Amino acid sequence: MGVIRVLVVEDDPAIAGQICHGLTARGYHTDLAATGAAAFDACRTGTFDAIVLDRMLPDTHGVALLSDLREAGPVPAVLMLSALGSVEDRVEGLVAGADDYLAKPFDMSELSARLDAICRRGGRASAKSDGEEGDIAVGRLRLDTASHRASFGSEAIELNRKQFSLMAYLMRHADKVVTRGMLIENVWAYTFDPATNIVESNLSRLRTRLQVLGCDPIETRRGEGYVLRADLCR
Amino acid sequence: MSVAGGIAFLAARYQLMNEADEALAHESRKLILKGYPNDSATLAKRVIARRAQKILASRGHIVYAPDGRLLADGLDIPPLPDGYAETIYRDHSRKWHQGRALSLRLPDGGHLVIVEHSEVDATMREMMLIGLIALIVVGGLAGVGAAWLLTRQIARRLDLSMSTADAIAQGDLSRRVSLEGLDSIFATQAASLNHMLDRMEQMMRSQRQFASHMAHDLRTPLTRLRGLLQADASHTDAAGRQLLDKAERECRSIIAIFDALLRLSEIEAGRHPTAMAPLALDEVILDVAETMEPVIADAGSHLALAPLPPARVMADPGLVQQLLVNLLDNIALHTPAGTRASVALAVAHDEATITIADNGPGIMPPDRERVVRPFEQGQQTRRRDNSMGSGLGLAIAQAIMRFHHGALELADNSPGLMVRLRFPVSH
Repeated sequence: MGVIRVLVVEDDPAIAGQICHGLTARGYHTDLAATGAAAFDACRTGTFDAIVLDRMLPDTHGVALLSDLREAGPVPAVLMLSALGSVEDRVEGLVAGADDYLAKPFDMSELSARLDAICRRGGRASAKSDGEEGDIAVGRLRLDTASHRASFGSEAIELNRKQFSLMAYLMRHADKVVTRGMLIENVWAYTFDPATNIVESNLSRLRTRLQVLGCDPIETRRGEGYVLRADLCR
Repeated sequence: MSVAGGIAFLAARYQLMNEADEALAHESRKLILKGYPNDSATLAKRVIARRAQKILASRGHIVYAPDGRLLADGLDIPPLPDGYAETIYRDHSRKWHQGRALSLRLPDGGHLVIVEHSEVDATMREMMLIGLIALIVVGGLAGVGAAWLLTRQIARRLDLSMSTADAIAQGDLSRRVSLEGLDSIFATQAASLNHMLDRMEQMMRSQRQFASHMAHDLRTPLTRLRGLLQADASHTDAAGRQLLDKAERECRSIIAIFDALLRLSEIEAGRHPTAMAPLALDEVILDVAETMEPVIADAGSHLALAPLPPARVMADPGLVQQLLVNLLDNIALHTPAGTRASVALAVAHDEATITIADNGPGIMPPDRERVVRPFEQGQQTRRRDNSMGSGLGLAIAQAIMRFHHGALELADNSPGLMVRLRFPVSH
């Protein structure tokens, strides 16, 4: 798999610089467009795996640019950035066809983790065979969607609904960093930032439960998020 | 009322008195004749002759000689001044009467007194008294009736304004008082109320725009600041690193307050009406309790969940989740380890009540009203995780309950705090 190519569409030079610098440092290849027109041209001439798109551009609106791009041809994974973090704005961005939505200000690790998640989702779409609703397996660790049971080898435990959803999300993103924000949005589906230890406490509870199985694959990456390591599930 | 009656009575009496005086003057002209002798002896004869005709039973005549001797007729009457006067007298039947008298001095020094019995006047007085009482009673009843009718009419008209005011209190600033069916002062009042609402809506809108512009304008420099703090962290020593961590934490808490404020204004402005749907309250409670139980356990406390009866309300699921997470998080943050907390749900025919109780330090009664206002906290204590709260948690909870036409009540759990969340039940 080659380098991930990202088109950054952002008019604020300081923020654009931070994004490009941060993504390059994490191994991405970045191109920068400061206006909607420049972004449109860049998309037509180059091929990208993902677009980081600012919602407010000097010449157009991110949502409008996105629909223009869709009319012109296939569009790579889109992560929309916005200074507006309200639920409505977020929903508007996702309805317009963005794959994810991130409110400013954000951490670089958050941005790269989310980019990683949406790029892989796009690439995986054809290769995936088990489907989102089927049983999930990473190594010997299996999750039974019907009974909410996790098993490792011959041992099995029952998980409550939250632990099950958390487990499923981590397993689907095995070996990738998932951030606290991603878990809040996707596991809890909360439309607000709970500003509490929800993720930390529930993950530590889940890890305690998994230790009963003799399996402890979830790692905490300080300042970044969590990773379920596939090599620890063998 | 009685004043009016009194005035009417006096006016009528004055009129009667004038009429009596007129009659007396007329009678005197019949007796004192121009161009004829008018001495007391002659007049006595004329009076006797006139009385013989018995014209008027209600009239009496007395003629005195210059030396005071009674010459004609004989009414028992006290001495009178010359001219018209009120008097009482006794006639042949020895009965006292009230009357009006005219006393005239005769050319020879004698006196002619004519008395007009004011029987009519007396009847009038009695009638007037009855009339006055009747007037007071009828007037009083009419007044009460009129007041009742007026009150009803005012109430009916105010009802229109009130339902509008209620809608506005719920955050629907677009409502106006209908001018239909209103007249005069009510129409004027409604129009000026509507004018005030126009102004308020305009002000609210510009304030909301200000908030969203501020969000945009502040988020951009905050993004840069946070980027700088993270970027430069890689090449600093331990002390510098610590300082940067601290600065970043502060940056984070500014953003947290900011997000909470935006959320609060969003809820209070009622921007979520589309998200309202029938919601199984028991399921949301179970879900949030499952999520928050490990958080409270990590804080060294205990959360118990009572059996939940099914309850369906019209609600925004996201807001109800936030409400419950906020309140349970308060227990983790503001009560000491070892606190026992519980969540219960009770359903009455038109109301579902969630009760969240703990046996922690509680909130003193004078503080209970204060803590639900923005930026107020129970005491100026830091949270247990040493971070500063946004100070908006309970204010947001309150706003969420208002948004659902419900109520948030803080009560004494003796010891501890009891939070009651009352939702109207949809049927």
